[in-house]
Parts: sequence; structure tokens; C-alpha cells
Amino acid sequence: MAMVGSATGAKRILRFHVPLAFYAVFLLFPFLWMLIVSLKPDQELLDTGQNPFLLANATFTHYRYLFAETDILRYALNTAVVTVVATVLSLTCSVLIGYALGRLRFKGGYLLGVIIFLAYLVPPTVLFIPLAQVVARFNLYNSYWALIFTYPTFLIPFASWLLMGYFRTISRELEDAALVDGASRWQAMWRIILPLAIPGILSAGIFCFTLGWNEFLYALVFMGGGDMKTIPVGVVSDLIRADVYQWGSLMAAGILGSVPVAIAYSFFVDQYISGLTAGSTKG
Amino acid sequence: MAVQPLPRTSVPDRSRASSRFGALLEREWFLAYLFLLPGGLILLLFMAYPFGLGIWLSMTDKLVGFSDYSFIRLENYRWIYGDSIFRQTVVNTFIYGFVTVPFKLFLGLGLALLLNETFRFSRLLRAGLLLPWIVPTALSSLAWLMLFDAVFSPFSLLGRQWGLLDSNINFLGDAFSARASLCLANIWRGIPFFAVSILAGLQAVPSELHEAAALDGASPWQRFQSVTLPVIRNILLITTLFSIIWTFADFQLVYVLTKGGPVNLTHVFGTYSYQKMGAGYIGEAATVSLYMFPILAVLAAILLRYVRRED
Amino acid sequence: MVDERMTNPVQDLIAEATRLRYSRRTVIRRAAALGLSAPALGLVLSGTGRQPVAAKAPSVQLGGELNILAGSYFVPEAQTFFDQQTKEWGDQNNVTVSTDYVNWPDIQPKVASAVESGAGPDIVELRDTWTYLYYEQMVDLNDLAASVGGAGGNFYGWAENTVAVDGQYYSIPVGTSSAAFAYRQSYFEQAGATEFPKTWEELFAVGKELKAMGKPIGQALGHSTGDPPNFAYSYMWAHGAMEVEEDGKTIAINKPEFVSALETLITGWKDAFDETGLSWDDSANNRAFLSDQISATINGSSIYIAAQNAAAGAETDTDYEVVVDPADINHAGFPEGPAGRFNVLGSWSYGIMKYSENQEAARAFLEWWLAPEQFEPWLEAQKGYIIPALPAYAENPIFTTDPKLAPYLDVVNYGRNKGYAGPANQKAARASSEYIITDLIAKAIQNNDAQGAVDEAVRLLERVYGR
Repeated sequence: MAMVGSATGAKRILRFHVPLAFYAVFLLFPFLWMLIVSLKPDQELLDTGQNPFLLANATFTHYRYLFAETDILRYALNTAVVTVVATVLSLTCSVLIGYALGRLRFKGGYLLGVIIFLAYLVPPTVLFIPLAQVVARFNLYNSYWALIFTYPTFLIPFASWLLMGYFRTISRELEDAALVDGASRWQAMWRIILPLAIPGILSAGIFCFTLGWNEFLYALVFMGGGDMKTIPVGVVSDLIRADVYQWGSLMAAGILGSVPVAIAYSFFVDQYISGLTAGSTKG
Repeated sequence: MAVQPLPRTSVPDRSRASSRFGALLEREWFLAYLFLLPGGLILLLFMAYPFGLGIWLSMTDKLVGFSDYSFIRLENYRWIYGDSIFRQTVVNTFIYGFVTVPFKLFLGLGLALLLNETFRFSRLLRAGLLLPWIVPTALSSLAWLMLFDAVFSPFSLLGRQWGLLDSNINFLGDAFSARASLCLANIWRGIPFFAVSILAGLQAVPSELHEAAALDGASPWQRFQSVTLPVIRNILLITTLFSIIWTFADFQLVYVLTKGGPVNLTHVFGTYSYQKMGAGYIGEAATVSLYMFPILAVLAAILLRYVRRED
Repeated sequence: MVDERMTNPVQDLIAEATRLRYSRRTVIRRAAALGLSAPALGLVLSGTGRQPVAAKAPSVQLGGELNILAGSYFVPEAQTFFDQQTKEWGDQNNVTVSTDYVNWPDIQPKVASAVESGAGPDIVELRDTWTYLYYEQMVDLNDLAASVGGAGGNFYGWAENTVAVDGQYYSIPVGTSSAAFAYRQSYFEQAGATEFPKTWEELFAVGKELKAMGKPIGQALGHSTGDPPNFAYSYMWAHGAMEVEEDGKTIAINKPEFVSALETLITGWKDAFDETGLSWDDSANNRAFLSDQISATINGSSIYIAAQNAAAGAETDTDYEVVVDPADINHAGFPEGPAGRFNVLGSWSYGIMKYSENQEAARAFLEWWLAPEQFEPWLEAQKGYIIPALPAYAENPIFTTDPKLAPYLDVVNYGRNKGYAGPANQKAARASSEYIITDLIAKAIQNNDAQGAVDEAVRLLERVYGR
């Protein structure tokens, strides 16, 4: 869509490019700072005589240190396994819940919808000690399952809510037509509704993936044993030694740690956006 | 999208095998409960049960590591209610929420309107501007910690080099600037979510309406009010709602930047509860967190009513 | 490191032990009675053919897994060294040992959830008086304490207080990182102080000069567990106030002399200190000192060690440009106040959790690791950052060769546990976790109201100590 109305070049720069530049600077600035810090040699890193934002000599020392001194690849693997499985699990549950609450008429449906929403309001700080007991009782401590089963506690409520709204936007006639044609309810859902809901499912999935990838508290408390850490927990443990922060490597980890999610977004950003549309307008 | 015709052959198969289960599957209530089962089970075990346990603990004087404790009814709630640090925490949280959410909303809306234009690299920029939301908070808040460092903030360094300052900026050292710094970092992290959600809504705005309104001589502001706003109204409300929830329940940003200091002036529910937990007071820690629940529920109810009114 | 004069008692004891067929434990007890140092004991044990360590020929077959939770080491090489040690012992005993190093503020939540859920690491590193918080879920280690302590001339009182609940040991102290003033000799001389001030008031006076020179004193007072309480407790005690009296119940913080000392501090803070200190955490003062922004600060020896590493041209891990010559850094013990001279000491200790399914191995490992043959090299790897809990190790050259590090060891002579004058118990630990004393000081400075800050602290302390 072109800019509505006829704007001259200068007007467009003032109304469009200047504000956009402001946003880009504000939103990308700390990220740029991370990048600068991760590439700056220690000697220059915080030399008070130097302009802190200039990068005179770039070095990969901090990245090398990250790979040599921490198990970053292992942490990445842990994070990936946990996040992917937890996302798939949460998404499966949420699609079913969203479908049931969004498209099926049954007693107590509204109430359950409210309960699911309220579940989203439960603060994690009240959960983490009792949850530790549950994790221990099922013998899950320090296994991937500990996080795979606890992440859904904050993923399912949001994803279900989003998908419930999305399913509601799909016209009922489509389904009814299929049922009249002799399809079972199951077939109608599987063949007709789900394919139409793919943008919604995709954005819920990306959303879950981000939250899982970034989670800190549960990953800290329910995992132990050195090589079971996730990226956020692992790098903070390995790179903050007593009262000394290894800034360069911490920031390097921040940048590398967000690459997988950033890639996922750059591929799906349009679908993600269109998936959110219906989902949230009819929430 | 066109409806795919169902392969006719599958229907006779299905009817021949119409077991009792198959018949049950045709009932909406049965299917619904069946679908709710897996997620419900997980939520019951890993959420409802611990949550119930948390509520129970909030009514006891349980201490971490000690198995001997007693039921004290609402004593923790009474004490926490009168606790000056808790009151400070409530004030902080409301400041934190009600300062940042409007900024995030308006700045997010502005960004969404810009990104809704087609221009070169628009897709790249859309993904790029999401970065604050994508980078793990545990690490991005460390970047802010560095930027706000009392002795090593690059802003302080630059200011001193250019002779604008003669001492370091006290970003996190007094109540006002510490809160302002936290708000700034929070706004930074929250804008992209607003922007993306609103952008999603904007794409549902029919462009013909805009053009028609423009032909009628409506100003951009009038067009926004009469054409765009009604479409994205709900999305604004819902996004605001979620942002309020996240901001009230925030933990990590505050924990990394100030741990509630200086002198408990920046605590939010999460960090104060965590501090109580560190001291071993499980009951009080749970109580602090649980006080947040009704506040959020009320805010949610108000906002959701507005959403429903439209429907 | 056996002293010449030690040779004789060592030989004597070897002869005695061989003659009387002493058991290993008896040898240890006799060595303690004779006041033998830890390394000397090692010689005796090997001289009598007793295993200096239990590990090589374990009486029970060990196996399985062992997980240790510890704070990340300040000295990275020491962490690597510990990993080598656990691997060596694990290989010998067929046990898979893993160690989980975490950021210091994250140790406690991990331990808390572990004791509440009954799942987690087998061995935990505890700080301060934490043993009192978790002892109900920990294994009684009296035997081990007797043999480790006995061999090293008995633990220092400050160490024993923090780990022995009603005389029962639940964890074995290894030492602690202590605090002293790190200061710039040249700046202090310029300010007219040839040696470090002896009292707090003198320090504030010199600080005024220093701040005028643009190099104030730096003190962290944020929510952080190391440097802020080190100052806050010491300053409180030095002015006659304390959380509780000896009885552990009577709140004794509202003392007029302390209130007036706070008023002095409020003025002193503006005149002599970097006023952004209210938000500093444990690491901020390291950065400020090593980048030449402040002239003195309370810290562990990490500043000095970092400056030395940088000066040696080593590839450093520090997060700052080190512009300070280590030769210009000196250390001094804390100044004194009207009530005397104080410092905070709490031990770092290792305990075994009750829920552990491999307590045998955990015990065997600790016994092996805490034996002088293993422990002393580990302590040396720490480069003096950790002072020992046993007097025997205080003779180690790492503590004696560099006189500049002497103030860190000297803390054992005037350090007190949190909770003093009361016992170092769980209540002291809770008050510390709620930052009550640190916040008291910070609040007085921030609100410019000494009495108000004290009153608030009284209310909070009554809650902690009253139940």
C-alpha cells in the first residue's frame, strides 16, 4: 500500500524516514552496543579516554573465548531440544484447546475459557518452589523433561487464547458444508479448519519458541549438572565470575544466542503478522 | 481459500466402522472434552496443583528447609498488607506499569503505521526491529546494565569526554532515575510486540476505504479515526492487556538491573517475592506474588469488557 | 612445605604410630594434639603406611554419579583445577562427578528449591551462615569435621560458628573470601595520609581531600551480597549497634551513638564518597577502582589480583581497562570506631544433602578432597583469594610471601559473623538476605534521615528475630 495521499519527497522524508530512523536508532541501539562490546578488545573495551561507541580494532577474542571456555554449543543444543519439544507439545495442546473453546459448543466452555485465561495471570514466582516439588516427584530433575513439561504452563494459556480467537474467525459454514457432505467432525477439523488456521498456528508457534528460548528461572532451578544448562543460564554462570563480568563474551553470547530466533522471524515475519491479526482481533 | 472437496470414498469406510466411539466423536461436548484433555492434564499437574500448593503455603509460616510449620490463616496477608516495603513495591509496580504501557502503546502504534508502508527492505526492517523482543532478556538486560553502569556507562564516559558532565550519571542510584532507567529498558523491550500486533491489525484495514475517505477530503487524522481505529481497536485493547500482565509480572529486567534497590525503591512483585524466598520465607513470598493475582484479574476484566462490548 | 623444626615431631610420631599400631584416626588425633600442620600430618600418614587419603583403596565399592553445586570461581584456573581433582577422584573410584558452577546470587535459589523438592545436587557449597537455613535436610558430618579439623588445628571460631548447629557439623568449612580496603598509596599520600586511616572518622576526613582531588572513596550499597554488607555490618558494629544482643532476641540497633555515627556518614558520603555508590553491586567498585576513578574501596583481593595479571601482560578476563599499577595498590584492614574494630566473616563450606542417593560417595569425596594433599594445592590455585578456615593453612606461602595480602588474612582476628552479638543462625541469615542492614545505611544516606532509617530497621528486625 502506498502512502495515502500525495506526499512530496521532502514531506515524506519528514513524515516517514525521520520517525523510522528514530525507531531504528532507539530499538537497535542497545543491540549495536552489544555488537560493539563483543568485538572490542579488552584493552579498549572501557578505556575512559576513548569514544566508547567507536570500534578501532575489532577482535573475535570474545567469541573464541566463548567457544573455548564455555560449553556454548552444548547449551545451544539443550536450549534447542527443550524449546522445540516444549513448543510442539504446547502447540498441539493449544490447537486442541483453541479448537474446542473456539468452535465447539458445550457446557462449561465459556468458564473453561476464562480459567485458561486466568492461568496466564499466575505469577511464576509463586509457582517455582511448588513446581520444584512436582518436578522432583516425577523424577524429572535435571532432565529435558523437567523443562518440556514446565514451559507449557506459560505457553499453553497464551497460545490457546490466541488460537481460540483465530478459530472463531473461520466461517462456520465451511465446516457445516463438510458435515452435510458426510464428513465426520474429526475430518472436518483435520482437512478443512486446520489448514485454514495455519497462519495462526504458525504465529503461536513462533511466540512459544521465543518465550521458551529466553526462559531463565525454571531453567536455572530445575536443571543442574553442568552440561544440562540452557544458553541464558549457562553463559551467565560461566561468564560472571564472582565480582567480575566478562562483558565481551557475555554480549557475544547474547548475539549468537538470538540468531536462531532472529532467523525464524525473518522467514516467517509476514505469516506471523497475519496470524496475529485474526487471532487477536476476535480475542 | 476454496474448500477442498472431501474424497467421497472415505465416507462409506467411516460409516461402516461407526463404532460407539466414532459416534461419540460426533458429539460436540465429547469432542470438546477430549480435546481439552492433554493440555488440561499438563496444566492440572504442572500449574493447578503447584498453584494450589502456593496458595496453601501462603497461609502457613513455612520456612525453606524446615518441615515443621503451621497453618496461620491470613496472617501473612495481614502482615504483608501492612509492610511498608510491600506498599512501596505496589507503588513501584503501578508506576512501572502505567508509565511504560502507554509509551509502548503509542510508540508501538507509531512504528506499526510506519512499517505498514511498503518500502525497500521493509521486510528486513520488520524482522530487525523485532530484535529487542527476540534477544534473551537475561542477556539484553545485561547490555542495559552496562549502559546504565554507575562508573562505566558509555553515556557518562562520552559526556565527560565532551565536557558536558563532571561526574558520572547516577542512572540506578536514586529512586527517580532508577525507575526511569527501568522504564526505558522496559519500553525498549516492549515496543516490538505492540508494533507487530498492531501491524497485523492494520493489514486488515481495507485500503479502498482509505482511498474513498481521502477522496471525500478527510484529513489523515480523520481517516485514522474513522477508518483505521475501529478495525484495530480490539487489537489495541488485547495487546495492552497482555503488556500490562507482562509488565506487572516482570522479574528479570528489574532483577538484573537493580535487584529491587536502591533501598527497595524499585522492587516489583516478582523481585520482592524472590527476595523473600531467598530469606527462606516461603509463605510470605507466595503471599507477595498472590497479591498480584486479583489486581491483574480486575484489570483484565475491565479490558475484556471493552473487547466484548464490540462483539 | 615442611618446616625444619617440624621434622622431629613428624619422625617421632611416625615411630610412635608404628610402635603402637595406631589407626589412621588415632594418628590424626595425635597429630592435632601435637599441633602438627596439615602437610606434616600428610607426611606422618604416608610415613606410617596409612593412606593419607581414603580414596585409593575404598573400603566400600563406590560408583554411580555425584553432582556438586558451587559458585563460579573468581580465579578460572582454580575452577579448572577443581575439575581435574574431581575427575581424578572419580576415575579412581568409578564415580561420575560433575560440578555445576553458578553465578553467586543463583546459588541460594537452587539450594532452596533442592531442599524443598528433595532433588538436586549431592554436595552443595554454602556461604555465610546458610548451613543454619538448610541443616534439617543435610547429613551430619561430625566425623569428617573432626578428622579434617583435627588435622588442621581446629577450625577458626568464625568458621565453626557458621556450620555447626548446636555443636553438630552439617557442612565442612573450607575458608572464605575476606574483605579489606584496597587503596591507592600515591593518592593517599597526596591527600596527606602516609598510612591508611585508623578510624572511620579519619577516613572520612582523608576522603574529603581525595574527593576534592577527583578520586573519592567508592563504596557499593546496592542489593548485593558481598561488598555492601561488609561495610554496613562493620560500620554498625564499630559504633556500638548490632542486630541483637547476645541472647539472640533483644534488638540492639537503636543506639544513640550509632544514630550519630549515621549522621556523620550522611555528611561523609557527600564529602568523601562517590555518590553513585548507592546502586553499585559487587563488581562496580572493581571497575571503578581499576579504571582510576576512585582511590579506595572495600573488596576481596580480586582487584589486586586482576591488576597483577594485567601488569604481567597475561591475557586477562577482566572487564575493564586496567590502568592501575599493582605496585600502587595496597590493602588495609577496616578502620575502627568507638566500639572497636570489626569486619564480617562467614565461611564457605561444603555439605551433603540428605536426599542424595550417593551419600557414601559424597562423603568419600569430601574426605579425599579436604585432605591436605588435595586441599592445599587447591588453596594455592586460588592465589590467596580465599583465606583458609584452618589455622594450619595460614602458614602457606601464598598468604605470607606478599605482605600486601596480609590484611585479608588478618580479618580472622577481628571478623565477626553476621548476627553478632547473637549467634550466627538462620535469623542472621534471613536478615542478611533481606538486606536489612545494608538498606538501613543506604536509606539513611538517601533520605538524609538517620533515625528514620534505624526505626524502619528495628521494625524489620523485630519481625525476623521475633519468631
